Amino acid sequence: MTAGFAELAAATHFSFLRGASSPADMVQAAMALGHAGIGIADRNTVAGVVRAHVALREAVEAAAADGLALPVFKLIVGARLVFADGTPDIIAYPANRRGWGHLCRLLTLGNRRATKGDCILAFGDLVEFSDDLLLIMLPSDDGAPPLAELANAAPGRVWLGAAMPRAGPDKRRLHGLAGLADAAGVPLVAINAPLYATPEQRRLHDILTCIAEKTTLEAAGKRLQANAERHLKTPDEMARLFQGHPGAIAETGRILRCIGFSLDQLRYEYPNEPIPAGHSPQGWLETLTLQKARERWPDGIPPRIMALLTDEFRIIAKAGYAPYFLTVHDIVAFAQGRGILCQGRGSAANSAVCFVLGITAVDPGKHNLLFSRFISEERKEPPDIDVDFEHERREEVMQYVYERYGRDRAAIVATVIHYRPRSAVREVGKVLGLSEDVTARLTGTVWGSFAGHMEKKRFAESGFDPDAPEIARLGDLVGQILRFPRHLSQHVGGFVLTRDRLDETVPIHNAAMVDRTFIEWDKDDIDALGLMKVDVLALGMLSCIRKAFVMLETHLGRQLTLDNVPDQDGDVYDMLCRGDSIGVFQIESRAQMNMLPRLRPREFYDLVIQVAIVRPGPIQGDMVHPYLRRRQGRETVEFPSPAPPHDPDELRGVLGKTLGVPLFQEQAMKLAITAANFTPSEANQLRRAMATFRNVGTMQDFEAKMVEGMVARGYERDFAERCFRQIQGFGSYGFPESHAIAFARLVWVSSWLKHHYPAVFAAALLNSQPMGFYAPAQIVRDAREHGVEIRAIDINDSFWDNHIERNGTAMAALRLGFRQITGFREVWADRIVAARPYDSLESLARRAGLPPRALRLLADADACGSLGLDRRSAAWEALRTPDAELPLFAASGAAELGAEPDADLPLLTPGEQVAADYQTIRLSLKHHPMALIRPAFAAEKVLTCAEFAAARNGRRVKVAGVVLVRQRPGNGNAIFLTLEDESGVANVVIWARLFEIYRRPIMAARLMLVEGEVQRSPEGVVHLMASRVHDRSLALDLLSATHESRPPLARADEFIHPDQPSAHHVRRGGHPRDVRLLPAREKRILPPSRDFH
Amino acid sequence: MHLPLLPSERLRRGNFAPPDGPLALVEKQRGRMVLVAVDALALADGVAPGLTLADARARLPDLAVMPHDPAADAQLLEWLAEGCDRYTPMVMAVPPAGLVLDITGCSHIYRGEAGLADDLHRRLVRLGLTAQLALADTPDAALALAVHDMAEVGDLPVTALAVDESVHLALRRAGLLTIARLSRQHRPALAARFGEALVMLLARLTGEIDVHIVPRRPPAAIEAERRFATPLAQSEAALAVIEALAVRAGLDMAALDLGGRRFDVALFRSDGHVARLSVETAAPVRDPKLLIRLLRERIGALADPLDPGFGYDLIRLSVPVTAPMLAQQLQLSGGSLADSEIGALVDRLGARLGRGRVRRLVAADSHIPEQAAFDLPVADAAGIAWPAVQPGEPPLRPIKLFDPPQPIQVIAEVPDGPPRRFRWRRRLHEVRAHEGPERIAAEWWRRADGAGLTRDYYRVEDGEGRRFWLFRHGLYGSEKLQPGWYLHGLFA
Repeated sequence: MTAGFAELAAATHFSFLRGASSPADMVQAAMALGHAGIGIADRNTVAGVVRAHVALREAVEAAAADGLALPVFKLIVGARLVFADGTPDIIAYPANRRGWGHLCRLLTLGNRRATKGDCILAFGDLVEFSDDLLLIMLPSDDGAPPLAELANAAPGRVWLGAAMPRAGPDKRRLHGLAGLADAAGVPLVAINAPLYATPEQRRLHDILTCIAEKTTLEAAGKRLQANAERHLKTPDEMARLFQGHPGAIAETGRILRCIGFSLDQLRYEYPNEPIPAGHSPQGWLETLTLQKARERWPDGIPPRIMALLTDEFRIIAKAGYAPYFLTVHDIVAFAQGRGILCQGRGSAANSAVCFVLGITAVDPGKHNLLFSRFISEERKEPPDIDVDFEHERREEVMQYVYERYGRDRAAIVATVIHYRPRSAVREVGKVLGLSEDVTARLTGTVWGSFAGHMEKKRFAESGFDPDAPEIARLGDLVGQILRFPRHLSQHVGGFVLTRDRLDETVPIHNAAMVDRTFIEWDKDDIDALGLMKVDVLALGMLSCIRKAFVMLETHLGRQLTLDNVPDQDGDVYDMLCRGDSIGVFQIESRAQMNMLPRLRPREFYDLVIQVAIVRPGPIQGDMVHPYLRRRQGRETVEFPSPAPPHDPDELRGVLGKTLGVPLFQEQAMKLAITAANFTPSEANQLRRAMATFRNVGTMQDFEAKMVEGMVARGYERDFAERCFRQIQGFGSYGFPESHAIAFARLVWVSSWLKHHYPAVFAAALLNSQPMGFYAPAQIVRDAREHGVEIRAIDINDSFWDNHIERNGTAMAALRLGFRQITGFREVWADRIVAARPYDSLESLARRAGLPPRALRLLADADACGSLGLDRRSAAWEALRTPDAELPLFAASGAAELGAEPDADLPLLTPGEQVAADYQTIRLSLKHHPMALIRPAFAAEKVLTCAEFAAARNGRRVKVAGVVLVRQRPGNGNAIFLTLEDESGVANVVIWARLFEIYRRPIMAARLMLVEGEVQRSPEGVVHLMASRVHDRSLALDLLSATHESRPPLARADEFIHPDQPSAHHVRRGGHPRDVRLLPAREKRILPPSRDFH
Repeated sequence: MHLPLLPSERLRRGNFAPPDGPLALVEKQRGRMVLVAVDALALADGVAPGLTLADARARLPDLAVMPHDPAADAQLLEWLAEGCDRYTPMVMAVPPAGLVLDITGCSHIYRGEAGLADDLHRRLVRLGLTAQLALADTPDAALALAVHDMAEVGDLPVTALAVDESVHLALRRAGLLTIARLSRQHRPALAARFGEALVMLLARLTGEIDVHIVPRRPPAAIEAERRFATPLAQSEAALAVIEALAVRAGLDMAALDLGGRRFDVALFRSDGHVARLSVETAAPVRDPKLLIRLLRERIGALADPLDPGFGYDLIRLSVPVTAPMLAQQLQLSGGSLADSEIGALVDRLGARLGRGRVRRLVAADSHIPEQAAFDLPVADAAGIAWPAVQPGEPPLRPIKLFDPPQPIQVIAEVPDGPPRRFRWRRRLHEVRAHEGPERIAAEWWRRADGAGLTRDYYRVEDGEGRRFWLFRHGLYGSEKLQPGWYLHGLFA
């Protein structure tokens, strides 16, 4: 008696904090229950429909692959319209493509009215856009719905939805609704409005409700659903519930039949702005490219390039991608016209076309990159070019895109913000009534924010029994809520551009940033539907390089661009081989610096490998050491080969350039295809599954397929498993060769600048902060070690930016700029520069019109040296200098401040000077803090970092220093620390089990003493293998009674700051020695500071 | 005097905290749990206020943690201040942990100031409190010295001055770390930089100007008192005095169109003991007769009756809480006074039986029927309304529920059909009409197994027109093979 029921009011977890199942789960569950179809309708959004669409498509494909016939199942997509004017909710389904356009415009209208994340709709809006929409009105508790009104607006396309929620008077209500429907001449349709797929998910739904209501389960009361009935029900049960009204069940089938729209009908069309009238896209691309090529090679295009271009034109023409290349070129040309540095990367960016068009600076003629490999002809996906722009000027480019294509045709792609382990534990814990204390302990053990999932052992690590009921419940629910979307946000820079109105394809939202709009779908949704995306990304290094180029041009008259920096220079490679790479793009991290002396790069492609090798993929696949051994000639290069009858050399083509070891993402994918018989589309699915964690369940299938596939062809199991782990390691940080090549170019340019113009490079780096790995202190220190004279900030010499000053010798000096002063403003700096020079603090205040705060910052930063004022007297003087902006003062002209008796302030000690420097400009040119504390450590036989670096292998030593960076890479077996003292840095390795013992000092110390054993590698890389760790931060505070000294951590420090006050910050801001915690009879906690200077 | 460990010692005194092991009190600050107070054990292990909890835990895994409760701390401080009345009437509480006593001319009984301080210290130790005491010529100096546990004002850090953090910072940066150092500065130079306020505070600290403390018990709006040269030794006589005072206070209030919501009577015994009585009313009152009746009931209900001992030498009636009250006229119908009559009844019952024993039923926010109501003291229940019933809807719940529900035998369709007939107390009832089910799932979070049985409630009517509320306990098949049935209530 199955009546052919389809649930037409299903909500998913894109009805944020209301739905508790993913769109895919809903579709799969409805198919399993034997529904004739399903309608997905989330609250004022269509954000989840593509996922439902893909889930259905994949189910059909999977069934087809297995040779199974699926029962007919139809997905219809729409939205549940929730009104701001008191109208009851109405579910809208487009009947055709035009209806979809209407729905999208309706939602866009509501979204654009709201400031953030809201959608404000009124009944009248729906009436305006109701053509080609099927509407199901959902009755509300208060008052009769405006059913007749709606039926008039959309004749024949209105239904009244009736549910049987098992609330008690269901039958009476149903009867009443039937009467209402009859009176309005509208059919009744049966729904259950499920919020989750199966009854078991009620618990999760309760949790979500509590999160939304900001309450706990205990206190939520009737805000929770009374029962677990809001799940997908079987057609039989629905028929039973609607026994007296079989017509309502039958109507679901009728609605399904009325709908002729599917997301497959969204056809993508490229915008035609960049193509002049009278040209075809392909014709114009070829004309433009050849014209540029002739400009570049006036003596004739090299035949090799010409051959590449011809081949690429053929492929582009076949796929019809010419408009895409032209669009990217259009954006890049705009940026170049404005002098904004940019560079493309991504699968299609390494083409000769992109090189000639100036989208990349990597000459494909030199690097033997086959373009056809990167535009997959099999997968019908659009090519992928990401363009990086200077981070400080990207906004100009984005606004250009909006302007050129119009806001109704250009918008940024969405990013779905998911629950992270940290936020999930905190929020679920709160709902379960666990105290903040408990959840803080649980989340406190999650190192870094990118832990993909909350492992059981994390719970155990924090001292909780993972099997205790509350903790087990928390673990279970957190596991379910992870990967739930929290809200939509804008993608960093992915633009979708269309020829026609974008808001008829997908609803558009206002972004949190002014002047930004974004669509509801993320990049995977866009991919799945075949829409085009251009990534406009921001890269700090490009800002830095441009600033360096500008300085070189103004000071030295040397004109440089990304592609005319000389590309062979042995001295630069020598520098890199020493691991001397602070500030250099991509290869400045600890791990990269340790790799450099091992890899010993000598040519450009070595840099490509250097960039790619220190990544989770190769590391987890255990590919790094085999590669290094082969490169150093300690292992013969051989290619893993299958058993006969397969071609034993089948991997030679895949792994040839990397000595038989897979390092790049393309190689891993190609490996799956060649060695494990994946189809290209399967390999692509695998990559995507890894990147998005979307189909976690199918992962084991892929693993079995790949590993067994390779083993079956005669590969060693160990190699096969490593290859799979490598693909897993790529995860969302997949690193293809094409990206590595683009990055390697910037590595080269920045290395070259660092080697040849260290002062310029350091100034440019400082002027582009925040970026990169290191804090200004480390950048300045590095420049000094390279012989750059660093001059202090001074009101008579500095500008806002750091700049270059001539000094006697050829080497330029770096004058620190006002931007280094924490809290200083650019406008103040400009006023100071405009009214120079000054002979007193008073004249500075008056002529530059500085507010008292600016004066104090300058004085505290010791920037008044040219006035003959030291920091303390300048600060004392600044305190009484009145506000220059007071009208009274301005009117009276030169109101001289009266003379005062000598304040007789105590002189600053060196420790105080250093501490004050760190506090105001986060670096000190005067001393390293360790130099001042050294006597105390010397007595303990602590080595300096320089002494440590020279110590023999295996020696047991003590080293102390300021903590620069803490990192726990990859699998987390070891923690890497970098300590710094006056002589250099020392790299410390701490094994995980030791970390458990010394967790506190490692997490808390700013100044650390480590005991351990010297380990020296054959390449001369020295590590300290820690055996004991001590927190000696107190010594730093003793430097100065008057300033807190906090040497800054490098920006790359992964440790999530507990912002730890040491044991003595008892009352606000009090210095340790000001505060007495114990009765006077107890001994003093701290010795007096004069012991140290 | 300064009590550096007041919060933790308060918990220890009240046995609210584990007796041994380090203890910390925490508070959420900018999204993080931060220690605001610790005990001596934690301190000895280097765990101090200001640390985040995570950090403190890393150092001391067995640290016990309690929520910070500044109100309770303040209460304890007030209580201590009250006790210090014994030394001087001039007592000022300086939250969070300070008390200032002006003992000018009060120390002779204790053989001097040091003797008084000793006595105070001994009492505090007996109370389980760590105290730092200091004697100085000005309240500011005394408190600062106590806080920093120092003897010389000159040695105090400049942070002892209650000025902005930015001023502290500027002074520290100038190298002026101590009060002595700061005092040597040219005062106009200081004023030019930090304002007169700093100079003033400095002068107060160094005793260059003297200030008086503000005693902590502020005078009540309405107060009446009488002193006796010869102490009154009889309670009845004291009551007569209170009545006279009440008349006087009533006249004062009438003049101001005020009524009292709270009345405090302090009976000072000549031996130093103070007996305090207080009465609160639901509505403002100034009728002396009503007041004396309430007071008599209050006295009658006292666990330990008033003991005049050697007699009272001072009786004071104060009205600390007042509310506007216009002269009232009885309405002819008397209707609008019904509320106030109930109010008066509640006041009387409350005064006699205790405030917590006159209660009222209020709705609770729960789907589970037996948890949907509870009772509260009337005073606390004000403002909690019952949800309105939709017009036209029949009552969905009986007024009274069986506790526990009574098991019945039911014939019903599987899996989720309504009951056809049922047997209750050996009598068979044919179901003629029913409505339902109203499905109410268990509160899974209260159960260790995270599940629990769902109930299907039906309103049914039998052949004789009697109406019942019964439920199936457990969903057939998925939760239970043979769900039981229960009668949970009868409709009127």
